[in-house]
Amino acid sequence: MALLKQTYLLLCKDLLLELRRRDSLLTMFFFGTLLLFVFHFSFDLAPDKIAEMAPALLWLAFLFTGTLGLAQLFQAERENHCLDALLLSPLDRGALFLAKTSFNLILMLLVELVVMPLFWILFNLSAWNLLPQLFLVTLLGTIGFCVLGTIMSALTLRARARELLLPLVLFPLMIPVILATIRCMESVLRHGEFGEAVSWLKLLVGFDVIFITVGVLIFDWVLES
Amino acid sequence: MTINKLAKAYGFLWALRDLNLDLPSGAFVALLGPNGAGKTTLLKLLAGMIAPTTGSILVDGATMAASNPAARRQIGFLAPSDHLYENLTVWENLRFFTSLYERNDRATSIESALAAVGLAQRRDEFVANLSSGLKCRVSIAKWQLLQPGLLLLDEPYGVLDGNGVDLLEGFLRSHCQQGHIVIMASHHVSRALNLCNRAMILHQGKLTFDEAKQQPWPTFAQAFGEFLPHGESWLS
Repeated sequence: MALLKQTYLLLCKDLLLELRRRDSLLTMFFFGTLLLFVFHFSFDLAPDKIAEMAPALLWLAFLFTGTLGLAQLFQAERENHCLDALLLSPLDRGALFLAKTSFNLILMLLVELVVMPLFWILFNLSAWNLLPQLFLVTLLGTIGFCVLGTIMSALTLRARARELLLPLVLFPLMIPVILATIRCMESVLRHGEFGEAVSWLKLLVGFDVIFITVGVLIFDWVLES
Repeated sequence: MTINKLAKAYGFLWALRDLNLDLPSGAFVALLGPNGAGKTTLLKLLAGMIAPTTGSILVDGATMAASNPAARRQIGFLAPSDHLYENLTVWENLRFFTSLYERNDRATSIESALAAVGLAQRRDEFVANLSSGLKCRVSIAKWQLLQPGLLLLDEPYGVLDGNGVDLLEGFLRSHCQQGHIVIMASHHVSRALNLCNRAMILHQGKLTFDEAKQQPWPTFAQAFGEFLPHGESWLS
């Protein structure tokens, strides 16, 4: 109960700070839409190539946009040594992990809610009825990205050139999530259902559950190191 | 609080060696010594911000582990203009930290703590807009509210004006009188000695002097005199 209360407190603080600064969200929105326009002018998606190309392009946009958010994730804590103040307090470090993951998840979902329909419009895609299923897959993939991203962001917090280091350590670990998400989205776009991709969907759910648990348990060690 | 053979090495360099201490309730320690003596390292070790290379810290006979939230609740670290969120207001910062430490009667307590440090009228200002001295006052209000059993201070005088110094010293005196332990590292020797009931001198990571305050204090004058520039007095 204390864990959830502390998570809520930290999340409210982060949302309030973001509401005031709007650094992360605006940058992510701008970069996400910019990437879509670049893709739009670079690729001509033929109808038979949509299922193959669309998930990969979308996830490229989400990954780069999300990495921008992750780079800013502990910015408020880096100013005035506020991370030390949090670590000195009786805060459960698992709560800090959950709050930061939830905060990044909220930002990414807000961006995705704009980017995905915009992608459909720019590439003149007709399968609007598939968007709910695609959103479900995106949600699971985004949870995986945020969970792993928060751990890696904390791990590289005191590293030199952390903005360069973060994607280098994060992207290889994200391969299972990216692969599973793209396969699920591809299946939905091809067949209108998950079909044989259900196993990939299970992998996504499993990945999320395992890494949320691992994150809560090891975040103390991650911050100490 | 008992400290047993506490030591800290950064790589091959020993910042602190073989420190043994016994601090009873109500102890107010002036931690003195030249730059690089190990004062900040000792404060960070006591705060659990860094792990010791060897040795242990015991509170009421039990090992104090930084990983234990109950132990952390008892430790305060007053950093003069740090540890506050710049884009939260004074009030929001205090509300956030009191919530984190689960202090009751927050609203009225925050009001009175702000009034005590002379910031009642500036409660809705962002911390980013405050001067270093005013930020330090917010920190004083914060620790007044949180009432830690062990309060650590690292060079608190640097950013404070005359009124601020009076506020800080008044708070530290009353905090100590309530049976809490205060350890203050400072280069303002005369001010620190005026407040403390015990002084310690660290030199090159070793405790070279540790005595309860006396009046007069020839042993201190002799021990501390080694670090003074030629012709200066620590009383000035």
